[in-house]
Amino acid sequence: MKVFIDPPNSLVLFDLVERFGHEPLSTMAAIQERVDNLEVDMPPMNVTLDDVVRGLKYAGVEVPSGVRGRLSLWGPLIEQADAAIIMDDCPYSFGCVGCERSELMVKYLIKRRGIPTLHVRYPSTDEEAVSFVAMAKEFLEGLN
Amino acid sequence: MTEERETRLFMISPRSMLTPDQLVRLIHAYGAEAIVKETCYGCLVEGPRSLVLDILARVREKHPNEVFSKIRAYPCSDPRRCRAQHGTRPGFAQLEEEWELLSKIQYGLDRVSEGAGYKQYEDRKRISVNDFKRICEVQ
Repeated sequence: MKVFIDPPNSLVLFDLVERFGHEPLSTMAAIQERVDNLEVDMPPMNVTLDDVVRGLKYAGVEVPSGVRGRLSLWGPLIEQADAAIIMDDCPYSFGCVGCERSELMVKYLIKRRGIPTLHVRYPSTDEEAVSFVAMAKEFLEGLN
Repeated sequence: MTEERETRLFMISPRSMLTPDQLVRLIHAYGAEAIVKETCYGCLVEGPRSLVLDILARVREKHPNEVFSKIRAYPCSDPRRCRAQHGTRPGFAQLEEEWELLSKIQYGLDRVSEGAGYKQYEDRKRISVNDFKRICEVQ
């Protein structure tokens, strides 16, 4: 099954989803398609101008173009996802660098799809990591 | 995802005794025709998707919970990204953050494979206004 991961470029979630036998839907795969099939020669080197226009499907015109650009990559992934894993409170997802607005829009789009979703907290201790891995394992094995 | 080319980064958990050099030698020893580039966190492997997945499976067989991997959008040494060719390399901010997390995830995977389960987290409570004031006011 196709599992959307949030943050969409997370190494940990990508690895866990693949480890437990599913296909992770990530930013890297979306950008790889653009790198291999389209010319991405201008900064920010991961979206084209057309993508920002396509992002209007997921975010209004008054929303900053950065949010629309992100959603033009992640929106189609959410549409094809069969399930999702969301890691809450990631330290690197905070503020404008991680784009909190995009994160909130992603969570809203996932909720609107109504697909099975697992919310896990970013583990800060070894014991929390055990719970995190056990929850992810049970969720992913239950999808089969 | 294209079938022709897949670039994957292999990242070694900080809890592991494996070094990037050992990992690269291990992959070279498989004799596969893939590009392998040693990095500070592990290595990059590039080749046809089936070959890269085969290498990943063999690495996981030998080091099940120590090496983590994800795909990378840009190929190895791509002039648009590669620092050696003055590309617009944005840095390793997230990878660095996640590298620190990997030791905990390795511990978690080890315990879960031994049969450990999960516990419900305690909900984080909001700090009271009086406590917050006490923190803010320098005595």
